[in-house]
Amino acid sequence: MNNLAQISEQRDFVVSSSSLKDVRSFSREVFEKVNIDQDLKDELVLAIAEAAQNIVKHAYQGEDTEDKMEIKISLANGNLEIGFFDKGRPVEEDKIRHRKIDDIKPGGLGTFFIQQIMDAVVFKEGEKPWINHLILSKKIDY
Amino acid sequence: MSYKVTEENGISIVHLDGEIDMDVTEKAKEIIMPLIEAKKEVHLNLKEVQYMDSSGISVLIESHQKATELGTKVILKDISKSVLKVIMMAKLEQILNLG
Repeated sequence: MNNLAQISEQRDFVVSSSSLKDVRSFSREVFEKVNIDQDLKDELVLAIAEAAQNIVKHAYQGEDTEDKMEIKISLANGNLEIGFFDKGRPVEEDKIRHRKIDDIKPGGLGTFFIQQIMDAVVFKEGEKPWINHLILSKKIDY
Repeated sequence: MSYKVTEENGISIVHLDGEIDMDVTEKAKEIIMPLIEAKKEVHLNLKEVQYMDSSGISVLIESHQKATELGTKVILKDISKSVLKVIMMAKLEQILNLG
């Protein structure tokens, strides 16, 4: 296993639930190049897949589309940054809430997982041609 | 995801295999829900599930709630390490029946 000081990889995926396994494969491939423990790798893959799922589910509301989303994973000096770019409906940040932890019902868990795993979650307006730009970041030791 | 359903002493045992994400949750519900609606006790064997996301966890919650409503139960068996971790991250280990 290499222990690279710097990584920057990006890939496009069709916005569809059927792309989620490809999103996970891409993420696993990237994290294989980093010397971090397997549990952390699994958590990061989960956070990335949940964010991609949110694009399918919320930015596109599950509609069929040929649009693509872009995921960019960058690591430099222990700062991991994962960018998500999509052309779906603009995210209304004040409407994004994870479920209350004592409220046992399906749904709302994806955002909760992301917030548990990552240090910071930032929504930005995307630069053209993108509409939304989500940034997940985390400081990691490797 | 693949699956196998067996019956033992009136208990339906559903063996799930593979990765459970948003893309397969409808299929998972189609397998599990009719068994619960038939008021059977259902054991979900999760030994061969290598990955589960929030959509998969939602299926577990819905199954548990439906079973409770109908007076039966869903028990999670042989839970793989990766699935158990996600269940614990969701703080559901005291809510779902882990057998």
